[in-house]
Amino acid sequence: MSQPELSNHPLHFAAAFGAGGLLSLMVLFNGTLAAYGSLFFASWVPHLTGTFAAILFLLVLRPKRAQIARPPLWVYLGGVSGAVTVMLTSATMNSALALSGTIALGLAGQMAFSLLADIRGLFGLPQRMPVRRDFVALGLIIAGSLILIFFGSST
Amino acid sequence: MIWFATLAILAGVLVSLSRQINGRLALSTSAMESSFWNHLVGLVFITCVALAVGGLFAGTPAAAPWWAYLGGIVGVVFIAAGSWLIARIGAAQTALLIIAGQMISGVVLDIIMGAPGNLWARALGVALILAGMWVAQGRKV
Repeated sequence: MSQPELSNHPLHFAAAFGAGGLLSLMVLFNGTLAAYGSLFFASWVPHLTGTFAAILFLLVLRPKRAQIARPPLWVYLGGVSGAVTVMLTSATMNSALALSGTIALGLAGQMAFSLLADIRGLFGLPQRMPVRRDFVALGLIIAGSLILIFFGSST
Repeated sequence: MIWFATLAILAGVLVSLSRQINGRLALSTSAMESSFWNHLVGLVFITCVALAVGGLFAGTPAAAPWWAYLGGIVGVVFIAAGSWLIARIGAAQTALLIIAGQMISGVVLDIIMGAPGNLWARALGVALILAGMWVAQGRKV
């Protein structure tokens, strides 16, 4: 299977950083929905509108399929993993962990598994060995994030 | 407590897992098609669980402001971006930069919405994150 080259192009950095901004908006929108409706509803609505939005995007952009060969069926299950995430976090948010503890531990789990995936090249994605510089960046960004999560707001 | 902590960590693992699987699908199709399947399969799954458990339309969802319903449109772009990036800058780098963007934009949103907060903690947190991004950018491929 052909794979894109790993890069450190500034455009990719900017895109990932911008995606984080989109995530903030999603948390704001979906969190507001959850304040009025059930937690299921707050996850069900964005999946429903997102499905239609994706169809529109596909019709307008008509992206080329990268490969003619059908991928294995398990690659279609990413959405299940994402939906379970919502259910887990809504359970832990209402425990003693609260929102800040849920976010902080979630960051830990996400980074640990991402590093493992890179080191092993899991799921057919390119292998990428972390170097010392990556761990310095990781330490700085996670430290800054923890300060914001636990001390940045009074809520 | 340990039980809930484990669930919170597992939630983070699943975020990463979901992005990897979607990223693999994008390698065979396209980032937007991957985002489409992510939303459709997630929708079917949530619908089944909500039908089994009940209470999907509990509360007063109709009273929510109209803009709260826009999360899905943003989400489609977000999932497509993650699926596209993970094969190009790696899972850890993608996760780390998304976290950086989420944290800093969260501070900006808080300030815009007038949420109270500690100015020094916010400044220090943002400074550390920007420093981390600068370090990450200096990496050789």
